[in-house]
Amino acid sequence: MSTEHLGDMRTEYSKALVAVGEQDPNVVVLGADTTDSLKTSNFGKKFPERFFNVGIAEANLVSVAAGLAYSGKTAFASTYAIFLPGRCVDQIRNAIAYPSPGDKKGLNVKLVVSHGGLSVGADGGSHQQIEDIAIMRVIPNMRVLVPADSTTVSKLTWIISQQYGPFYMRMARSKTPIIHNDSQEFQIGKGIVLRDGSDCTIAACGITVKMALDAANMLQQDGISCRVIDCFSIKPIDKDLLEKSARETGSIVTCEEHNIIGGFGSAVSEVVSESYPVPIKRIGAQDKFGESARDNEIPQLLEKHGLTSINIAKAVKEVRSKKT
Amino acid sequence: MGLNYYQIKKQVLKARKLVIKATAAAGSGHPGGSFSMAEILGCLFYKYLKYDPKNPGWEDRDKLILSKGHASPGLFSNMAVAGYFDPKDIVTLRQFGSKLQGHPDLKCPGVEFCGGSLGIGLSYSIGNALAARLDGKNNRIYTIIGDGESDEGQVWEAAMTAAKYKIDNITAFLDRNFIQQDSYTEKIMPLDEELIGNDLSEMWKDASRWKTGDKWRSFGWNVIEVDGHRTEQISDAIRRANETKGLPSIIIARTVKGKGVEHMEDNPQWHGKAPQQDIVPIIEDELESQFMIAPSIIAGDMSNLGKEVERCNEGRADYIHLDVMDGQFVPNKTFDHAEIQKLRPLSLLPFDTHLMINDPVKHVRNYIDAGSDIITVHAEVCDESSFGEICDQLRSNQVGIGLAINPDTDLPQWSYKFAEMLDQIIVMSVVPGKSGQKFIESTHEKIQRITKDLHDHKFDGYIEVDGGVNLENIGACFADGGRAFVGGSAIIGQSDVRMIIKEFRNQVLDSRRRLLIKKAHDLGGTDLVNKWIDLHVVGKKKDGLVQITKELGFQ
Repeated sequence: MSTEHLGDMRTEYSKALVAVGEQDPNVVVLGADTTDSLKTSNFGKKFPERFFNVGIAEANLVSVAAGLAYSGKTAFASTYAIFLPGRCVDQIRNAIAYPSPGDKKGLNVKLVVSHGGLSVGADGGSHQQIEDIAIMRVIPNMRVLVPADSTTVSKLTWIISQQYGPFYMRMARSKTPIIHNDSQEFQIGKGIVLRDGSDCTIAACGITVKMALDAANMLQQDGISCRVIDCFSIKPIDKDLLEKSARETGSIVTCEEHNIIGGFGSAVSEVVSESYPVPIKRIGAQDKFGESARDNEIPQLLEKHGLTSINIAKAVKEVRSKKT
Repeated sequence: MGLNYYQIKKQVLKARKLVIKATAAAGSGHPGGSFSMAEILGCLFYKYLKYDPKNPGWEDRDKLILSKGHASPGLFSNMAVAGYFDPKDIVTLRQFGSKLQGHPDLKCPGVEFCGGSLGIGLSYSIGNALAARLDGKNNRIYTIIGDGESDEGQVWEAAMTAAKYKIDNITAFLDRNFIQQDSYTEKIMPLDEELIGNDLSEMWKDASRWKTGDKWRSFGWNVIEVDGHRTEQISDAIRRANETKGLPSIIIARTVKGKGVEHMEDNPQWHGKAPQQDIVPIIEDELESQFMIAPSIIAGDMSNLGKEVERCNEGRADYIHLDVMDGQFVPNKTFDHAEIQKLRPLSLLPFDTHLMINDPVKHVRNYIDAGSDIITVHAEVCDESSFGEICDQLRSNQVGIGLAINPDTDLPQWSYKFAEMLDQIIVMSVVPGKSGQKFIESTHEKIQRITKDLHDHKFDGYIEVDGGVNLENIGACFADGGRAFVGGSAIIGQSDVRMIIKEFRNQVLDSRRRLLIKKAHDLGGTDLVNKWIDLHVVGKKKDGLVQITKELGFQ
């Protein structure tokens, strides 16, 4: 994939929401004064009675969504990442994840956010959520998805609208390279092997999937064969695939646009250290906050936090050298 | 369920006792905030809320959202009384493996909201209300928030949201008990005005300080302010809120934390503390001995009964006693149902209609239609069959059932068959017919005997003493077993009705304190007496108790 086809996650989310809403009259959408940005306002134009903009009141947003879900609705609540896990962990935990009617686990609320990670850029460190994967995956009953491209967003929007229970899905602000074909199948809890290899596994999520693929291409020129996995489903995580990859490739590099503490890399480490321990190297923010960067400078910002294909390739070499 | 005033009061009492049982068994929990909202829950569970305890998931049910989740003992106790589960299970509160979690939880079928983290419930209620609107359902959402909880900013986010969406299928309550965990609300985070010093009367008795209603009004809500321990006020407020269309309604209920147990009342210590087991029997007796003062308006200006009703309102009577005399059963004539119907719009207070008339079975319908809350007929002019008919009529119209006996009459044998369904027995302590007679002393012995007899027959209503009751004898009547007291010339004949009713209450409270100290002494001697007295830390209650103890020779 040398010439980049870009896709916009928010556009695909919005389109999928409208389509889901057409098919299922039980779907409601909530926003908090970011509905034009998230493009959920398109749903509002089509289904005004099923669309609620509660203003800049995220705790309220989450809890109203919980109430709608308790009364049988499938509620999508959307705003920027920094304002949902970042601001409302209590309401997410106590109003959505904890209440479990009958045999069900949690309430049927889908928290779909944009502006995840450092690539938010210009808005600066205050708006760059690099803690959300950690925050959300530690909450029982919550499932965490970090799609790599707009195709994935579209497919996952459909899937989570039909699967009962709480989901957190994190989108990037900027347009992202298309990774998957429309025919690609997605399953919650299953990773997708984008490229097979035998010397090392690069497990990635979100915008880092493209970097992982580029790194694998570079390494191939050095004779190193990498397996690349798109781990869009961080919780539940594909334990079988990760264990198998550890066994077959002997080392793993993880990539995420998130703090390496508690995030995706931690999740992979937890699984692998318990099932088939191999050397692991985590690429991501090294416990440091981000800062402003204009759109053309975002690669520099990511680079500052180690998020480049070159750095991933280096990490592969490093982690391979630790193999016993 | 649509129970009447008396039945609601009985259920509230049962629930309060279960709160004590539950928290004492658990060794922790929140009785204070459970008691401040006890009458609110009573009006909901036994009058307004639509639910089916055998089918908690019933689609068209109303939903009760207890946002101030720490008061879960209050919720669970009412659910037990209402039939969601066996009241015996209440002792599993907070126990490992119990569905009765420390805070309300969907683990207990019938609970609609996982409470505990404050500030969430109103938003959650809005979600439920919006869903009901989308589904075209007529069910209501009843939401109770706390005043301490109102420190949470999210409450005000929700307040704005409800106004924006014109949510009129929620009836919200603010349990305004003026106490939060650390101290009085007006010291921690004032909702009205900051409180300097510790004088509670500054806070809740001075209406000029109340700003909370204005806050809600300015957020676009319909605000109804009531005394949150008066069933008739709460009930009327709910009716009005439920009829209000196009904007959200909140009932601000001024309440007393720990209401019903003197040492818990207005005492921040009882926000989150359980009573000790040895104190429980004393508390139960205290809860059992609720009482009511009922002015009889015929002792006033018969040419202007409307004014007398208003004096009862202002005097904070518990209900209004209406003596209907027909000139046949008794020599005098007073008024009939037509007059009662005229007076009805003047007061929310329960109308305690005492029919001193012949053939009551022929007339009772008129008095139901006139708006009586309870109707008492005389045993002398009934038999088992006619009284049975009267009971059926009253019951099916949610009117309380009373039976009266004259000084020279004893309860007839047939009346015991009705003991369980009776809400009230009037023991006449004067010969009925006119106001201003002297109390017949032998009535004391008669009340004691009837109290015991009726207890054996599972009577759980009020014994009302009617005739010649005054400040001198009311304490003794209470000790005999009387729980409602009609005051004729001794109350309505006085210029300051409010003051005299207060004095009546103080006499009864003094009598009650004596009984409770004796109870403590019977159970645990001087040690328990002192332990119980030491719990009374607010105001000057303790000094009075020490004085009584000395008088009783227990110290």
